[in-house]
This record gives sequence, C-alpha cells and structure tokens, in this order.
Amino acid sequence: MNEQPVFNYRSQRARQARLRRRIAPSDIYWVLLLVGLVVAVGGVAIVWYMRQPWGWALAGLSGLFWVFAAYGRFLRDLPPKFKGTSVDDLLDADVLGGLPPLPTPHDLAEAILRARGGDFMAARLGIGPFLTEHASQQQADTQAVWQEALQLHFQLGLPSINAATLAAALLRRMPNYTAELAKVRLGDEDILAGVRWFAHFETLLAQHATRKRDGGIGRDWSFGYTPLLSRFGFNLSEDIGYNGLLTSDLPSRQTILSEMMKSLSAGARRNAVLVGQLGSGKTTSVHTLAQKLLTPGEDVPVELHYRQIIALDPARLIAEAKERGELEELVQRLCSEAAAAKNIILFLDDAQLFFEEGMGAVDLGNVLMPILEAGGLMMIMAMDEQRWTKISQANPALSQYLNRIMLPPADKDETMLAMQDELILLEYEHKVVYMYQALEAAYRLSSRYLSDQAMPGRAVKLLESSAGFANEGFVTQHSVEQAIEQTQGVKVDTASNEDERQVLLNLEQLIHARMINQSRAVQVVSDALRRARAGVRNTERPIGTFLFLGPTGVGKTELAKSLAAVYFGGEDHLVRVDLNEYVGPNDVERLIADASQDEHSLTAQIAHQPFSVVLLDEIEKAHPNVLNTLLQMLDEGILRDINNRQVNFRDAIIIATSNAGAELIRRRIESGQQLEQFEQQFTDELVNANVFRPEFLNRFDEIVLFRPLNQDELLQVVDLILQGINKGLEAQKVSVSVDLESRKLLVASGYDPRLGARPMRRVVQRVVENIVANQMLASQAAPGSEIKITVDQVKQMLERHDA
Amino acid sequence: MLTLARWWYTTGWARLFGHIGQRASNVLAAFSVGLLARTLFDPFRQIAAGRSSGSLNDQTRAFADRTFSRFIGAFVRFMVIVIGLLAWLIVVLIGLVQAVLWPVVPLLPIVGLVLAMTGWVIG
Repeated sequence: MNEQPVFNYRSQRARQARLRRRIAPSDIYWVLLLVGLVVAVGGVAIVWYMRQPWGWALAGLSGLFWVFAAYGRFLRDLPPKFKGTSVDDLLDADVLGGLPPLPTPHDLAEAILRARGGDFMAARLGIGPFLTEHASQQQADTQAVWQEALQLHFQLGLPSINAATLAAALLRRMPNYTAELAKVRLGDEDILAGVRWFAHFETLLAQHATRKRDGGIGRDWSFGYTPLLSRFGFNLSEDIGYNGLLTSDLPSRQTILSEMMKSLSAGARRNAVLVGQLGSGKTTSVHTLAQKLLTPGEDVPVELHYRQIIALDPARLIAEAKERGELEELVQRLCSEAAAAKNIILFLDDAQLFFEEGMGAVDLGNVLMPILEAGGLMMIMAMDEQRWTKISQANPALSQYLNRIMLPPADKDETMLAMQDELILLEYEHKVVYMYQALEAAYRLSSRYLSDQAMPGRAVKLLESSAGFANEGFVTQHSVEQAIEQTQGVKVDTASNEDERQVLLNLEQLIHARMINQSRAVQVVSDALRRARAGVRNTERPIGTFLFLGPTGVGKTELAKSLAAVYFGGEDHLVRVDLNEYVGPNDVERLIADASQDEHSLTAQIAHQPFSVVLLDEIEKAHPNVLNTLLQMLDEGILRDINNRQVNFRDAIIIATSNAGAELIRRRIESGQQLEQFEQQFTDELVNANVFRPEFLNRFDEIVLFRPLNQDELLQVVDLILQGINKGLEAQKVSVSVDLESRKLLVASGYDPRLGARPMRRVVQRVVENIVANQMLASQAAPGSEIKITVDQVKQMLERHDA
Repeated sequence: MLTLARWWYTTGWARLFGHIGQRASNVLAAFSVGLLARTLFDPFRQIAAGRSSGSLNDQTRAFADRTFSRFIGAFVRFMVIVIGLLAWLIVVLIGLVQAVLWPVVPLLPIVGLVLAMTGWVIG
C-alpha cells in the first residue's frame, strides 16, 4: 500500500451508510412494504367504488413506499465494494454511518464503540474506556489510523474494515501503545486475537443462520424406516438439522473428518474408531461430520450423501433387555435395521461399554464382529487410548476389522477457537460474557492443573466452572483463577489482598515466632515464596527446592512445619515423607502409588493438595532409584505416578533434609568457624564422600547448612515451649512462669549433643506440666493466678524422674 | 434522489434478478427435484426391499415386493417432481413480472397523477 488512504465523506456509500443509520432499515422494511400495499389497494378502491379519479394519485404513491422499502433492505446489508481502495469503500456501514466529515481519532473511537465490532472489543477485552480516553483529538492523526486499518485489513484477510479492526488500528497508533495496554494486562497479539475472534464470531453466526438441512422433502424417501433406532438411539443429524451446530472447521478436525469419510466410504471395513483422551474432541468430531453430511459438498463421497448419524444409548438398551440374551438380540436387530435402511451410520460413544463388562456383563464383541466383517453397516466408535489397547489385546481379531483414527490433543490456537465456539452456548446458559483474558487464563491454567482431560475439553471445562465466579456478569481472568483455586486448592493469582501481602512481607518474623534462629534458611525460603506470589518466578519448576543439612534437633523439620502453618494454611499442608522407609530398589512404587492403592503416597497427596510444603526427611538414606525418581520433580516440578499420570509439584515448596556430615558441622562451629566460611567446602566433601551425587545436589535452588543451637538459643527454645504450655492452660485461666535459673536447668537436662533440642520439649513439658498439675490439684493455683516455678521445684521433679 | 434513482436502475435491478434466481433454486431444492429424478425407480422407503437368500419361492416373492415398492416409489416421486416443477414455474413467472414492473415502480406517482388529472375511472 503505497498510496495514501482516502476517506470521502461525500461518497455514495458514505451517504448510504448515514441514511441507513437514520432510517433503521431492519425495522422499517416490512412496514413500508405493507403501507405501500394498503395505499395501492385503497387508491384503486376509491376509483372503483367511489368513482373518484384522485384515487389514482393515492395509488401511485404506493410506488414511493416500495422504492424506499427495497432501498432500505439493500441498506441493511450495504456490503463493502470488492474492488474499492478508499476507506469508505471498505469500512463497515455501522461505523461509516457514524463518522463526521473530518473525523478525529476520538470521533473514530466513539463511532467504533457504537458499532457491533467495537462493542465486542470493549466487552471482551475491556478496552472501551481506554479507546475514548487515549484517542487523539487532532484530525491530522486520523490519516495514520486509516493507513493502519487498511494494512490490518489486508494482513488479516478480512472482507471489510469492521469496527474491531478499526479499534485495533486506533490502538496501535496511540503513543505508548504497548505500555498503556500492559496496564490492562494486554499486548499487541491479544488485540489482534480479539479482531480475529470477532471475525470468527461473525462467521459462526452467519453459518448458523444459513440453511442447515438440505435435500428437500424427498431426501429420505429412498431409505427405510427405523422405528427401533428411533427408540433406542439419538439422531444427531436430525438434531443438528433443526437446532444447528456452532463449531469451527479446525484444521486438525478437518483431517480427522477426511479420514473418517475415507474409512466409512471406501473398502470392506466401513467403520471408524476415534481413539483419543477424554476432552480431545471425539464426540464433537462426529457432530461436525453429521453437519457436513446434511449439506454435502464436493469433498463428501457420494456414498455418504444425506447419511444420518444415530448414537446408540447403552443405558436405554440395558434397561430394555432384562432377560439373558435379550441384549445381544436387541443389538442385532438394531444393526439389521440400520443396515436395511441404507442411510444410517451408527455411532457408539464410549464404545468400550459395548465390548467390556459394562453392558450388563455382556461382551457384544461377538455380536458386532460379524457385522463389522460383512461391512454392510457404517459404524463410528469413540473410546480412549487405554480402552482401545485393552480391547485390542483382549480381542485382536476384532481390532483387525476396525479402522483406528487417533485424535491428538488440540494446540493453543485450536483450543482458543474451540473455546470461542463453546462459549456462545455457555454465555446463553449462564447469562454471562467471557472476556478474552478469561480464555487465555483458562488455557494456561487448565494446561497446568487439569490433567484428567485433553485439550480443548479441559479448557472448556474450566471456562464452564468459571461462570459461577463471574463479576457483574463478566467472566474475567480473575474468575478463572478463582475457579481453579477453589477446585484445585492452589494459589494462582498474585498476592492481591492486604492481609496476604502483610504475611508475605513479614514472613521471617512470623516463622521466627515458632522457631529460633537459622536466619539464612528462613530467609531463602521466605524469598522463594515472595517471588512466587509476586508472579516473578519460573512457573515450570516448584516454588522452591531446598536441601537443609545439619544435626538433628536444630529446626530443619520445624522450619517446614512453620512454613506450612504460617503461609500454606496449616500443618496439614505439610506432606512429609520419611525416606528412611524407602531404602529398597522397589520402594519407588510405593512413592508414586496411585491414590486408589495408597492415598498416603507422595503423588497421591500432591495430586489431592498441590499447594503444599513437601518435606523429604533423611534423604541420604533413600535408595538411588528413589533419588533418581525425584530428580524430575526437583527439576521440572513433575512426577509421573505408577499409571504414568503427570502429577504437578509446581505449586509446592520442596524441602529435603539430611543429617549427613552433622558431626563435621558441629566440630567446625565449635572451633569458631562461621557457616558461611565452610558451606561450599562442606558440600564438596559430601560429594567426594559419595553421600550425594553432584547432579542430585545441583537440582536444589539452595543448599542451607543448619548449625547447632547455642546456650542462648536453647533458652529461647524453652521460652517457645513455655508459650505453648501457657496457651494450653488458657482454658484453666492460669498461667505459668519459670525463672532464669530454672530455665537454664531445663536446658542442661533437655539438651543432647546427638539429638539437639529435640528432647527438650519432652523434658520441659514433663517437668512444668507435672508441677502445674500438682498445684492445681492441691488447690494452690486458683483461676486467674500465675504459677511461679522455682529452681528447687524443677530439681525435685527432675530427680523424681531420674529415680 | 439521483443516488436512489441510479441505484434502482442498476444495482437494485440486478439484485432483483439475483433474488428471483435464488427463489427458483430454493423451490427446486425444497421439492428435491434433482434427487427424486436420480432415484426415480428406487424402492420407496425400502418397504419389503430386503434381499432374500432363501428358496426360489422366497426370492421370487422378494423380487415381486421390491418391484411393487419401486412402482410406488416411482409414482410418488413423479408426482412430487411435477408439483415441484409447477411451483418452480409459478415462482419464475412471478419473478419475471416483478422484473418487468421494477422500472415502472418509481414512476407510479407520476402515472397516478396523470390518470387522476385525466379524470378516468374504472367501469
């Protein structure tokens, strides 16, 4: 396009568009036609009965009404000029009619928002206010918008410049376009996708409005009656003929349709078995075929013209056949009827029900095999891959007679189109409007969290469940995020409410309220979580993977528990796996067992609750096979369970702990070294000593060394334990305080160099709780009082226990 | 008005011919004229049309049944084809009248005015 685009306000088409806007032709057409008729008849009647010649003048006026009626009908469509080059030749009439003589970009924005395409873009992408607020008021800027609109029109191959295309052109010519759009979470690609979506929407509506049932009244006269099939089946063709079908011709589905038509029309085996995961579009493909056969084009073989597809209903068949053998006979009769009618294609959805124990403990394979072998009846079946493999193994002869057609999951572009098809009905049913951002989110989040179905089914399923979270009738990205958060128990939105932000910003303090020191470990874990909730992490990995090394009883497990309690919603969000129970080569099976076999396996727990802290305790004791299995989980956040189903660890924090080299850490700390000084050297020593393989250690984001607690820290641990005891006594309305001497004594008694602070809780609880219990029973502690524990009491109690 | 007049005698008239053609085509499709002509001697709704592999007597009876079914089919189809063609003819004739009268419609006010001025009345 080297020429400058021209907008001619006075062109014939521009004038027609303005007239169209003023006389609202869609409403007035029939009125004008009728008034013309009445005037004509009235005029002639006046001449005839009243013998008044002026009746002719009245009758002649009818011509004016008819002229305007015909012109109004033409204006209703007002198609673009195919060979036009000026803007007014190509612009849609609903925008063209609303433009002033010298429009500014702001005038364009207002005209766009009054037109269908502009309304669509405003609702679906939320750019309505953006358009009017940011559009220039300078008439000189309009030329650039026309240029952009023409370029987009040719680039996208659209028949006219509609309001959506013009909106995109207007946006693209705004200063700081990309930065401004980013504020509403949109990019240039999204705007173009919106334009394509509108074009797709218009095509679907036009397709739906055109004649669906073809062939006329005599279409089925050469074919037989099918009373039995009418009773036990559902005629897809008839349903689509009356109600229509809103689906696109997706490229991959076109290939499937061609393969189906080829299988059904050629050769002796006139059947097709669609094999694909749930949600991959098997049933939709059959519906699309039924629609195609109703109005057969040149690509439909003659053998398939006007064929009707009837889906058999297994539940109704079972209900009818009560006696043994009746079911086989009934299916036989149905097949015979279909074959005799000569225009039927039988469709067995969930076909495994006909071959396995599903159909009232009868395998109909023996009934169907001779029919398939004879090839007299066209049949389509649909089943998932596992069932197909099972049936093929159980009955190889049967599978030889079947033409298998594989349905791969749809890619992103096709899934987006399929969602756009489906949501027309969803919007009607739920009385909502889906925004573009919701579709994007549905694709992204369903890819990640819904593994039980294939695309596009899983994205459509999520869209449907998001309707319940609509805000003021709009299903937004947030609605979709809420839906997945509710159903999957994960957090996918970035932290937006004030409470959560405060928790994240003060995470270290909150964790330190439960555990003492180990500041570096607390910090790295807190940082990882903040990165995740701010949306700045790699979403293809777990939130964070950490290896905690250090002696027993220094807070490694406590940190994991604290994190689960403070942020993940409770200690029940801690999935703990003691790897000292996985020391055999076959223990991998237990680790990745299916929930039906072991609901406490690692994969089963995470599949149930993906937003968790995973604690892999004593990892150095696990068998190498177990560690190898865990590599992918650490690296990509994925683990496959025993049934090869993918389990997602990308919303979990993974913490592995090990006591390996604990003695070495203790000795170095005692010799006065700081952790930071020997951290790297220590890790190297563990690798050299073959405790861990380097490729395993490299999988962790951070390796953190925990040091033994010193005297002061142990006193703080005692304080934390006492806080816990006081909390427990709140119901009795008494409290307990322990002086410093006593606390030091408790530290001395409870600390074990080998077990760290672990025995401390037991000792403190035993001593303090026993003293409190004795005083309360002796009525020495009334409600509201404070029990002060002295060093003598502690000594006495410790001696009693030692004795 | 000039725009309107130009449209009436160019685009408007051409569109009318397009509509007449479409209507005629729809009538043929609705009566399945082409399809019925192609399947004129097929059995009607496959009544007793199944093939028999039984005895000679059975086969003879099946053949006779099929022939009867074909006869019914041919009769019904022929009648529908005739009705369809008649309907098509009517639609085409109406369309032609419309096409011939089309240029006169904008002139009707003038024609009416002239007739009124002449004082002519019917009968």
